[in-house]
Amino acid sequence: MKNILLKTLIVALVVGFSSCVDLEEKPIGLLAPEALFQTPRDVEVAIFGAYGWIASERLYGRQFVSALMLRSDMVDIGDRGTPAERQQVNDFNMDANNGMVSRFWPYWYQTISSANAAIAGAEGLEASTDVINPLIAEARFIRAFSYYHLIRVFGDVPYIDYFIRDPQSVADISKTPAEQIYQGIIEDFQYAKEWLPDTWPNNIKSRPTKGTAASYLASVYLTRENWPDAYTEAKWVIDNKDRFGYSLEPDYQNLFIALNGDRPEHIFTVDFLGSQNGGGGANDDLMPPMSGIRGADHQGWSVLVPSMQVFNEWNDDDYRKWVSFDDSIAVDGVLAPYTEFDNTQRPHIAKYSRFPGNSSGDGRYSDHNYSAFRYAEILLIAAEAGAEANGVSAEVIGYVNQIRERARNWGGEITSTVPEDITTTPGKDEFVNIVLNDRRLELAFEYKRWYDVKRRRLGQEVFLGPDAREPHPTFDPARDYLFPLPAQELDVNPNLMPQNPGY
Amino acid sequence: MKKRKIGMIRVPGILLCLLFIMTITGAWAQQRTVTGTVTDDDRQPLPGVTVVVKGTTIGTVTDTDGEFSINVPADAQTLQVSFVGMQAQEIPLAGRTNIAVTLEEETIGIEEVVAIGYGTVRKSDLTGSVSSVSSEEIAAYPTLSAVQALQGRAAGLQISSNNGEPGASQRIRIRGGTSISASSDPIFVVDGFVGGVMPPPEDIQSIEVLKDASATAIYGSRGANGVIMVTTKRGKTGAPRIELNTSYSMQNEINRLDLLNADQFMDYIREARPNIEPAGGNTNWQDEIFRPGNIQNYQLSVSGGSENVNYYVSGTLYDQEGVIVNSAYDRFSVTSNIDITASDRFKIGLNAFAQRSTKDGVRTQEGSGGLTPGVISSTFKFEPDQPIYDANGRFTIGRLHDPIDNPYAIATQLQDEEINDRFQGNAYGEYQIFESLKFRTTFGATTNSGRRGRYSPTTLQEGRNAGGGDARVDGSKSTLFLNENYLTYDRMFQDEHHFTAMAGYSFQSSVSESWGGRSQAFITDAISFWDLGSGATLQAPHSNYVDWRISSYYGRLNYGLQDRFMVTFNARYDGSSNFSANEKWAFFPSGALGWNMGNESFLQDASWLSSWKWRLSYGLTGNQAISPYQTLARFSPVFTVIGGNTVNAARPTTVANENLTWETTAQLNLGADISILNDRIALTLDAYRMVTSDLLFSVQLPQYSGYTSQIRNIGEVENKGFEAMVTSRNFTGDFQWKMDVNFSLNRNSILELPEGNDIRYGSGPGHMVGLGDTQILSEGESVGAFYGWIYDGVYQEGDTFVPGGGFEQEPGGEKFRDINGRNSEGELTGEPDGTINNDDRTIIGNPNPDFIYGWNNDFRWRNFDLNIFFQGSQGNDILSYTLMELNLLAGINNATTDALNRWTPANTDTDVPKAVVGRTRRVSTRWIYDGSYIRLKNLSLGYNLPASVLNNLNLSKLRIYVSAQNIFTITDYPGYDPEVNYNSGGSTNGNRNVGLDYGSYPNAKSYTLGVNIGF
Repeated sequence: MKNILLKTLIVALVVGFSSCVDLEEKPIGLLAPEALFQTPRDVEVAIFGAYGWIASERLYGRQFVSALMLRSDMVDIGDRGTPAERQQVNDFNMDANNGMVSRFWPYWYQTISSANAAIAGAEGLEASTDVINPLIAEARFIRAFSYYHLIRVFGDVPYIDYFIRDPQSVADISKTPAEQIYQGIIEDFQYAKEWLPDTWPNNIKSRPTKGTAASYLASVYLTRENWPDAYTEAKWVIDNKDRFGYSLEPDYQNLFIALNGDRPEHIFTVDFLGSQNGGGGANDDLMPPMSGIRGADHQGWSVLVPSMQVFNEWNDDDYRKWVSFDDSIAVDGVLAPYTEFDNTQRPHIAKYSRFPGNSSGDGRYSDHNYSAFRYAEILLIAAEAGAEANGVSAEVIGYVNQIRERARNWGGEITSTVPEDITTTPGKDEFVNIVLNDRRLELAFEYKRWYDVKRRRLGQEVFLGPDAREPHPTFDPARDYLFPLPAQELDVNPNLMPQNPGY
Repeated sequence: MKKRKIGMIRVPGILLCLLFIMTITGAWAQQRTVTGTVTDDDRQPLPGVTVVVKGTTIGTVTDTDGEFSINVPADAQTLQVSFVGMQAQEIPLAGRTNIAVTLEEETIGIEEVVAIGYGTVRKSDLTGSVSSVSSEEIAAYPTLSAVQALQGRAAGLQISSNNGEPGASQRIRIRGGTSISASSDPIFVVDGFVGGVMPPPEDIQSIEVLKDASATAIYGSRGANGVIMVTTKRGKTGAPRIELNTSYSMQNEINRLDLLNADQFMDYIREARPNIEPAGGNTNWQDEIFRPGNIQNYQLSVSGGSENVNYYVSGTLYDQEGVIVNSAYDRFSVTSNIDITASDRFKIGLNAFAQRSTKDGVRTQEGSGGLTPGVISSTFKFEPDQPIYDANGRFTIGRLHDPIDNPYAIATQLQDEEINDRFQGNAYGEYQIFESLKFRTTFGATTNSGRRGRYSPTTLQEGRNAGGGDARVDGSKSTLFLNENYLTYDRMFQDEHHFTAMAGYSFQSSVSESWGGRSQAFITDAISFWDLGSGATLQAPHSNYVDWRISSYYGRLNYGLQDRFMVTFNARYDGSSNFSANEKWAFFPSGALGWNMGNESFLQDASWLSSWKWRLSYGLTGNQAISPYQTLARFSPVFTVIGGNTVNAARPTTVANENLTWETTAQLNLGADISILNDRIALTLDAYRMVTSDLLFSVQLPQYSGYTSQIRNIGEVENKGFEAMVTSRNFTGDFQWKMDVNFSLNRNSILELPEGNDIRYGSGPGHMVGLGDTQILSEGESVGAFYGWIYDGVYQEGDTFVPGGGFEQEPGGEKFRDINGRNSEGELTGEPDGTINNDDRTIIGNPNPDFIYGWNNDFRWRNFDLNIFFQGSQGNDILSYTLMELNLLAGINNATTDALNRWTPANTDTDVPKAVVGRTRRVSTRWIYDGSYIRLKNLSLGYNLPASVLNNLNLSKLRIYVSAQNIFTITDYPGYDPEVNYNSGGSTNGNRNVGLDYGSYPNAKSYTLGVNIGF
């Protein structure tokens, strides 16, 4: 009897357990690509993923924009105790293993990958072109925005404009010439200009509109010295500024107060949310501490600090100087001049650290909406390109004077005459130099200057000449207008050889 | 919402009910009486010893005093006295009515029974390579985990602490790391429960380390890294034995570093940065954070058994205060093992275990500094010219570089409390179907509930920066379930053909859940982490669910002929959910031959030889240690903000691999067990070669693809080696000296990598920004080889400086050797090219030891016992990030006294460079050190009170001992301890990051006073 019972039990057990074995994985909480893109909203999820990576520590939160700043003549290293890789970007002695590069390079491509995934997802939707094309346009805008940065920094790079399901398929591709990538960028921006909306609800500027796409087209043409097209696009934005809601902010300072969020002057912003840590570097903004003052009550790290020359040569009566700089700060509750700063006895950049909004004590995880493009730049592009294309005219002078007029507004009161309007008609070369200098000051520390130095080949003048703003005897024009590609990429795929010259 | 099945726990009620069935034995009496006492070698009374009148069924067992009384027939000639683990004796009565018997422990090896997977086997019949560690060795000195106690005890077993912090885990390798990216941790089998919880050391009867394929293949896809089989103590038939073991240890940090004092520090800093002013203090930060630690350890056990029920019940308490202020760990547990003989055919039993552990952690081995770095790293680097508090009574912060908190602030202010509750039950039923066939089924479940709370108050930079404190609470719950069912057939034919066969089926499932929240900016620090909702800044909460299942069929066939030849076949067929749809199932066979050459006639006359056995085995085992879901493509969420609001966002992060499967290790083992001079000397030798193929490898993808890596089965790793264990009774008799020596040599080598390409990777702390690659995987080299430049000392005035971006080119600067260059095609030439750059890096160190060893000595004289145990490692290199950080001499933190010998124009005869700001941290031979050491792991002197005293105290045993651990180490390593690990956590890092030193909690040296009492 007992025997039978037991045998039954054994059989029941073995059969019972064998039959409930199911080795298929049914993960909970994982997003499977096959099932992801069902609705337009799902495509938006991938587009938003790209924005999340742009607003990350690797790109607009620190690494990428710091590298752009350091490379220029406007920002130097403050604390020389900071990691060598930053000093090497600044001092023109970097190599192909530079850590800043190896951190921001993959994030640009992951941003592109997200955009490509969104495009593939949108193309698979069963919906009308009115629904699908704007989604594709937004993703193509992000892709073009990313490649536009990449080729200005690196020159020729691998160009991928489709969603990769099998990385093996691109394992041995070669670089695409920058010239060819520019065609892709222009097509993407043109498509975006065609299909994006004029505005977003609540005038959000961290998503692109027709105006944003046109503005970037103007910038691309300007970089390529296609003056007529650059002028045309910029002029189109200016002519349609009311349609897009663009205007100059009356008080320059308002652009650099995190809590103000997106302003009418903004054309494209990178949106960080205060005091939130997103993981993987997402939403981690470190520009306030990177540029802030070490030892101050409002703690910073004194890494990105302009040379004295930048401060000294800037007219004290220019309001923008005092928005851009802190030359004193509270230390233990007492205002200390920069000569008494603990670490780096120089005025520091104030645009990011002064009003970081809701953030950590040192300004990390700030609430800034960083300006990637603002209306003032469109005016300056129209001025520069217009002068180059059609000569100096009252119209192009007027664009510069609009900027200068706003700069004379000291927090609501017009108390200064600096910077004065241009009242004469300078020659073309002189005017272009004026515009470039106005760009330098108006857009100071906004990640634009290095691209200007590069496209106008100003390196020898600003780093080597007798009047060098930031002397760097190591500057080599044959090498230093491009960054090296990450060595690891060349190791994994030797077809990316040759490395950029000099590295 | 889909409904989920959580676990598979369906223990049939009948089994549980049966556990409560108990039977009671009676006793019987007869007429003529013989009395006596039975003692062991130590003259300690032995309770539970069986005493039988030879040729009859008349018998009894000794009581707690080792005394017996037996009524024997008038014609009785001889008594048989026997006890598990002792040599049985036959005592001629010769008319005596009072007899004293001393039983001796069974001599080494010969009839010993060892646990193997799904059964036991006589050691003489063993065909696989198995090392045993006894309970005496495991409990020789107080340890939190028995794994610690295994260090140096078994050949082929390498143990090192991952961190010295109370409660930290150990790194365990059996015959080297068989993998590169997957875990190489062995699996634990506790009383047959695969993946069961390791019990406290005091409750362990023995540990067997299964090493070769013949021994491990029965565990199939999880056997490749070896198996550690733990057998807990069980009750022996006899009156209740009550034992109390208690000890108290005082601890100190094992060593300190010689650091600069305030004046020396300022001299150095101002050489690099003349405008820095002294802060006016002089603090020895090591004095501030170290304190004497202590361990209290208690175990009370009651064991015994009647004819039908055996029991072992034990409670332990381990309470440690660490050598760093504010660090502590305590653990208490209850173990209950019950075995019931329900009928002469049916046995059931239950092992139950419950444990709570609480850890007050301190931050060490940090991956990235932040402004509140680890206690140890900041203790070494923090500015010694600063006091603890500034003029306003606040904790000082660093002023020369990042404004980090001072170490005293970190040690005293940071809160990190972790509580874990574990419950484990493992029930079995065993039924003897025929005399030679039995069926056994087990149901085991273990659950772990954990909670970790952390809080950084506003007295720290981390808490201040968060706007008023930073709090986190994380919870987890995991459940592991296992059911095993197997039949065992065991029969001897014609007294010379011995067959054993075993076959079974098992199912195992695991579910892990975790969740947590984080919040910042509180009204007051007093809230700590107990009201997340009151924080002004809430961070995103998280939760996660992971499960896996394994289904297996297994079997074994043993055949033995005349105690001379043995043949074993093992096989397991495993299916695992972790692998790709196309590759769920795999088969792992092994075979072994044994030959007891000592039993052959041609050696019968060799009187010096007690036994000589050859073993040869070959087989396949697997490693499935990758995380679930890794074969699936996925998008991952991204924190994204649009218009000031967070939105749903995701990006593609992982590509699918439809063919991901097990790593397979093929192992060949040749061994010999030799015992000579009447078993006085026993020798076990093993040589092996293991080749692991289909390595689970995270292959670097081109980053422009938008992905970073993909797990594939690519590559091969080889481990080959030699092991020897010698046990020798150098003296027997009144003065006894038993000596065990074990020696392990393993050579690890990468045979094949994806595309044959070298793979470089970095392991440095995150705040050492720009350090880049630190190690390399290269065909023909060991896993984890250090990679960097060759340091050639310091440039002198008049030297030719080798140019190179970012390299110093001035007197007093670091000088690196130019060894490589590129031709016009961009290919490496292997010739110096006159510039120094990344091409000049090479392999500069190997963290794997040439060999490791243990040397244990047990002395006994009268009632005294003395244990001297050395353990060591030879030929392993260490890469010290600690010394790199300190002695970079870039003017940003403190340095060791090596800095006093830095280059200056007046002190040029040195290889320590000058102080200069902006020096790049580079991995070079400057930071690679020989990590060889020999350590006096335990020194212990014990005294057993004599029986006369014990009788007066009404005790059966009282041993008092004093011991010391880690008091003495010989090494050339200039860090504070050569036994270090850093960044070795996680499955990926376990093999790749070995021999790294950064910011570890120091190991402790201990002085212990203990008592073992038997009531």
